[in-house]
Amino acid sequence: MTRGMLIYIGQRVLLIAFTVLVVSFVVFLGIHSLPGNTFVNERVRGASLALLLHEYGLDRPVLVQYWDFISHAVQGNFGVSLVNRGEPITPIVLRELSVSAELGGAALVITIGMGVLFGVIAALRQNTWVDYVLTTFAIIGYSVPSFVIASLFVLIFGIWLFDVTGGSFYYPLTWDGTYGTLIELSVPAVALGLFTSSLVARITRASMLDVIHQDYVRTARAKGLKNSVVVVRHALRNALIPVTSVLGPLIISIITGSVVIENIFGIPGLGKEFINSILSHDYNVTVAVFTMYALLVGVANLAVDLAYTVIDPRIRY
Amino acid sequence: MRPHKLTIGGLGLGVLGLLSAAACGSTSTAQQQTKLAANQVLHFAVFNDFDTLDPSVSDLEVDSEIAQNVFDGPFRYDNNLQIIPDIATVVPTQANGGISADGLTYTIHLKNNVTFSNGDKVTSKDFLYSWNRAAALNGPYAASIFGPVVGFAAVQAAASAKPAGGVSTQQNIENQLAAGNSAFMMSGLTAPDPYTVVVKLANPAGFFLSALTLQATSGMIIDEKVVKNDPVNWWSKPSEFIGTGAYKMTEYIPHQDMKFVSVPNWWGTPKPVLTQVNIDIKASDTATQSTAIAAWEQGKYDLLGYGGSSSLPIADILRIHSSSSESSQLKLIPKGRTTWVSFMVNASYNPTTAAGDPFTGTSQAAIDLRKAFALAIDDKSLANIVCDNLVCIPATGGLITKGLTGYAGDGTDPLAKFDATQAKQLLQQAEQLNPSYTNEVQHLTYVYNQGGLNDSVAQFLQGDWQTNLGIHVSILGQTQPPFIGNRLKGDYVMSRDGWQFDYNHPQDWYDNLWGKAVLSADASTSGYDSATYDSTLAQADKLPLQQALPLYAQLAAELQAQAVYIPLYYSVGTFLIHSYVQGAGSTTQADYYWNGISILSH
Repeated sequence: MTRGMLIYIGQRVLLIAFTVLVVSFVVFLGIHSLPGNTFVNERVRGASLALLLHEYGLDRPVLVQYWDFISHAVQGNFGVSLVNRGEPITPIVLRELSVSAELGGAALVITIGMGVLFGVIAALRQNTWVDYVLTTFAIIGYSVPSFVIASLFVLIFGIWLFDVTGGSFYYPLTWDGTYGTLIELSVPAVALGLFTSSLVARITRASMLDVIHQDYVRTARAKGLKNSVVVVRHALRNALIPVTSVLGPLIISIITGSVVIENIFGIPGLGKEFINSILSHDYNVTVAVFTMYALLVGVANLAVDLAYTVIDPRIRY
Repeated sequence: MRPHKLTIGGLGLGVLGLLSAAACGSTSTAQQQTKLAANQVLHFAVFNDFDTLDPSVSDLEVDSEIAQNVFDGPFRYDNNLQIIPDIATVVPTQANGGISADGLTYTIHLKNNVTFSNGDKVTSKDFLYSWNRAAALNGPYAASIFGPVVGFAAVQAAASAKPAGGVSTQQNIENQLAAGNSAFMMSGLTAPDPYTVVVKLANPAGFFLSALTLQATSGMIIDEKVVKNDPVNWWSKPSEFIGTGAYKMTEYIPHQDMKFVSVPNWWGTPKPVLTQVNIDIKASDTATQSTAIAAWEQGKYDLLGYGGSSSLPIADILRIHSSSSESSQLKLIPKGRTTWVSFMVNASYNPTTAAGDPFTGTSQAAIDLRKAFALAIDDKSLANIVCDNLVCIPATGGLITKGLTGYAGDGTDPLAKFDATQAKQLLQQAEQLNPSYTNEVQHLTYVYNQGGLNDSVAQFLQGDWQTNLGIHVSILGQTQPPFIGNRLKGDYVMSRDGWQFDYNHPQDWYDNLWGKAVLSADASTSGYDSATYDSTLAQADKLPLQQALPLYAQLAAELQAQAVYIPLYYSVGTFLIHSYVQGAGSTTQADYYWNGISILSH
């Protein structure tokens, strides 16, 4: 790792920290300005409501509350839930992050695996029925929103094929909130990754078509190398450079798309927690989830930028 | 030819043999049907996570229906909602000397074999600690239960003062109680010996025992030794979630699950058969509930509807109801919950709202207008269209739900009568008396909290008002937290209102929904109050139940005469219980206790 790289990483880390701070501040102010709070009901009112608000520090000025939040958050303590009174948020968020990461990771594998594979095949079989089918599939994939795909999957696997699947593809019967089985993951992961994999397929196809007509590829073929060696070792690496450049936005798309997918499939990840916390006015959880998402996006972008240097040695920071 | 006697005898023996074989087979079948499964683990899902399971401050239905299996109080409600002894040896009455002649002193004798699940013996000292703590914490039910006790107000004042030194309020309360600070102890609560508790009331309160019996709330007994270690989170840790109930917690993962096991050698009866209860914590949206129902159909869950989760999606309920193989496992049990429309009737409660509100006041015009809107609603049609006559029934007997003490009887509520002709006449009369109504009624909005049946109900109401009165009322759905807060401040001219009873006494309704006490606490949807209401209520609350009933009926009549509300429906809880689960069910108030449930072989 060069000195320049280290300086670059340091600068990016500072930028991520600043971004997370701004996001958490804006969200904190926003959520606290929503009318109502999670405690009030017909029974909890007057003195007992005032006591509860005081117990959880909600009767202090908002800026004081924010300072309290951020000074603990930098130590990894996101405070306590207002809905599950007194429950520390950090373990809940970390557990749900692992669930979302697993789903997101599976979607990323589908994005890259399926997308690159289909793109390469389509390029190698240009203007054949294989190319047409895969291209059509890709166009459908990035034209249809992920929540529509997810709802269709629920219809197909959960209802039409209920007798075959027994609901196991859809209903998280044994989902224990940590790691799902392959079957439990497959349908929501495909629903989440289909859009991004379609984009990757299209970009890979275009890029591959460009690369396989290059002189050095022709030379490699002329030297008698096997087609698979030419494609994988010589062509693919260069064809992946444009794919890597869009990987950052694609990962962000997976992260944000997971909110919808988790709610449709009932997966107990950050996305589901996010919606639930907003609806129930669990301020601390909402801010913690938002902060976590901001951090994820920043780290994901940094990782992609660093991966770029591995794919293309010409890139140096 | 006459049959030979041997032939007759042989035939007789043969018949006898056949009958015996049939009886033995039947007995075997019967034995097989009642044979307990080896695996006595009950598994179900709830659709709300816990607020807190600390009974001193718990509030949600899911909290109490789970915690009732972990905590006990001096009394409990049986399946007929009658008060029976629990930790106490007997329910105090004037006849047995447990209640003094002036109704101010209650003497409660305790059983001497009651223990917490950690083995600590329960004595009167635990009662004093638990009840003083509950009073100081001022949870949702503290005022209802301990409000009448001498010294309650003083404890509240002491506990609400902000403690010095950055100590949290709850920790401060624990510290003060541990130090024996009398400012944090109700002076009317004493323990003359380890198995006697004496409660002195400032004024007679006929509802006191009913309120005290409310399960899993402020009247429950907790162990000071475990609570003081972590006064806020003790309930979420298996090692500290200690009670006197038949079950104790072994695992709690927020937003995920909770597990309980039976307490060995539990002091109470019936002894638990279920060895373990596993609860999955799910979100409350319709899709998740439908998923859980499918899981129940596949046998993953033994039952659904427990833990305050008895409002299952109606589409699934209809499907199961019409299924010949499953309908017998669907139990429809009335829950003590009434839904109605409230008018904001008090201009001084919220002057801002009152500015454009035609429903305020006690003038004949205002009453006629409110009655017009009430009589324009066809409750029977609503129950049919919105609830398919399954998950709700028309509220025609007053706001106290059918089956509860104080219910007036089917068809007795004049505001539940549907009469479109009379509704139009009343509207015309009102407009003649107050011509400004003609314009004001064109700008009305009915506000409700989204979810469940509320969206369908709102659309139904809008349709009936349009059809029967010719008035377009806008409808506005909101999320729960802002809706409840704003409604209680009187922000809405017309809004969805409702109440699920806590204990079977009319005081629970009349004290918490109308009158000066709720107005002064900014907790009144309608703002309704009158001198007559307050004085009648105060008088009724003091009397024993039977003597108080006519006075509570007067309050109901006053609300009806003033047309303060439009009754809609009484809720019916939906439970899905597999046939092999024996002893499961629900009263109007709460689930049957787990220690009465067993799993049969299947």
